Amino acid sequence: MTPIMEHPIIVEHLTKRYGDHTVVDDLSFTVEPGRVTGFLGPNGSGKSTTMKMMLDLASARSGRATIGGQRYRDLTDPARTVGAMIESDAFHPGRSGRNHLRILADATGIPSRRVDEVLEEVGLTDAARRNAGGYSLGMRQRLGLAAALLGQPPVLILDEPGNGLDPEGIRTLRDRLRAKAAAGGTVFVSSHLLDEVGHLADDVIVINKGRLIAQGSLAELQQGVSLVRTIDADRLATVLDRAGAVTEAHGPDSLIVRDMPIDEIGDRAFAAGVALHELSPRAGSLEELFLSWTATQSVDQEVTRS
Amino acid sequence: MNTIRLIRSELRKLTSTKMPWAFLAVLAALAGINAFAVVAGTDFDGSKAFIATEADQQSLVAFAANAFAIAGLFGAIAAAREYGHHTVVPTFLAEPRRHRAVLSQFGAIGLGGGVLGLVGAGLTAAAVAVALPTTDYGFLVSTGNLTRVLAASLLAGVAGAILGAGIGTLVRNVGGAVTGVVLVLLIAPPLVVQLASGTASWMPSVLANVLSGVGNEVVPAAAVAAMAVWAVVPAAAGLIAVERRDVD
Repeated sequence: MTPIMEHPIIVEHLTKRYGDHTVVDDLSFTVEPGRVTGFLGPNGSGKSTTMKMMLDLASARSGRATIGGQRYRDLTDPARTVGAMIESDAFHPGRSGRNHLRILADATGIPSRRVDEVLEEVGLTDAARRNAGGYSLGMRQRLGLAAALLGQPPVLILDEPGNGLDPEGIRTLRDRLRAKAAAGGTVFVSSHLLDEVGHLADDVIVINKGRLIAQGSLAELQQGVSLVRTIDADRLATVLDRAGAVTEAHGPDSLIVRDMPIDEIGDRAFAAGVALHELSPRAGSLEELFLSWTATQSVDQEVTRS
Repeated sequence: MNTIRLIRSELRKLTSTKMPWAFLAVLAALAGINAFAVVAGTDFDGSKAFIATEADQQSLVAFAANAFAIAGLFGAIAAAREYGHHTVVPTFLAEPRRHRAVLSQFGAIGLGGGVLGLVGAGLTAAAVAVALPTTDYGFLVSTGNLTRVLAASLLAGVAGAILGAGIGTLVRNVGGAVTGVVLVLLIAPPLVVQLASGTASWMPSVLANVLSGVGNEVVPAAAVAAMAVWAVVPAAAGLIAVERRDVD
């Protein structure tokens, strides 16, 4: 496969407000080429707005996003650089799927033969001449994906691409995105389907209420959790919380500890005179991590407000 | 080059749904109504005086005022549905310099409006010509005057479609855009004329009649300029709004 020119996505201090409501709050992160990056957050956390700002569909109050060092609007050939799927139903219901793609091909100077190729790639050839209004949700998603893949871009920015896909469709999508990343492409995928992201992503970026709350390799993040068993769990939790860790009760005599290396947990317990019966790394599920990240931030914000 | 691609893309948008056929059906229906009027209509005295002279027949086939209104609705629907169906999102992804995308869209819609105007005038003239042998009169409109009627209708179609597209882009909702065009072209003008009678000569239907050669309230060049203003003002407002707004 031909190597792809690298296009990292860099988001710097992006902020978006609607009136008094801050939707995206000083958000910064980097999406690396050659990896699939999952973009996680609860509904209304600002994921779609962030993606729209990356693509210059929404204006930022401050900050900026670049793709391969350029803002989207400054790209010389955006359709061949970035494939995006933002609105899954961005088509006219009375227009065929094939014509929808031909319109995009016309606008971007992509040869019309590529339309038939991409329809084949996403498995829509048989439905290509039917009006898109009659498509199932999964077919609509595949049409949106076909539009994103039309220009064979090195960068993919996809908002909830797995919605409505059947298991085979999800597997095909996963294989396609992984292949794109393996070829050096930059793949940025938002989802609220944690299981899907867990199977797909190398890295994750988690936001809640417009703020970054976790970023990194999924493997590292999952490993960055320790289980501590002690008869003095409350006192140890106080000690570790004061030192910047995030602790969570896990039964009467156990704690889940995040954001602190396992060695430091042992040292601080020893310094505090707390006897440990167990101290072990714990690979948490993505769902557990996600719930704890978002819950922690909610508590932090409540404390800040009060 | 890029602009040509965008216009081609916009033209495909217009021709890949059933909307143009619906408008052609309306034009055919209007032509049929005109033919029926020729066959069955009479003046108050029971005569066919309303088709007795070339001027009378030219007035009957002068389609430009209708073209302006019909193309206005066409432009409003064509532009507003882009936002309603979110198809503007892939458009702005393909061409992030939005003014280029929107100007190309206005160009394509204007072209579509012009075709509608021309076809409407052609169908009307043809229907009247076909119906006239059922009366004592032949088709009296000279080739020169018929050409003027067709040209006026084409021009009015272009202007009306761009006006409608501007309103559609501003409103972004098909129902609202259609209401906006009806307000601007049909409801507001008589009210404005009541408030300021001097404006009567500059209303779209009057300008369209001047262009068609069946009115002389202003000189034709002024009518062309005024019709352009009617089209450009909402289009410019729509363009500015698109540049300032987020796409949702």
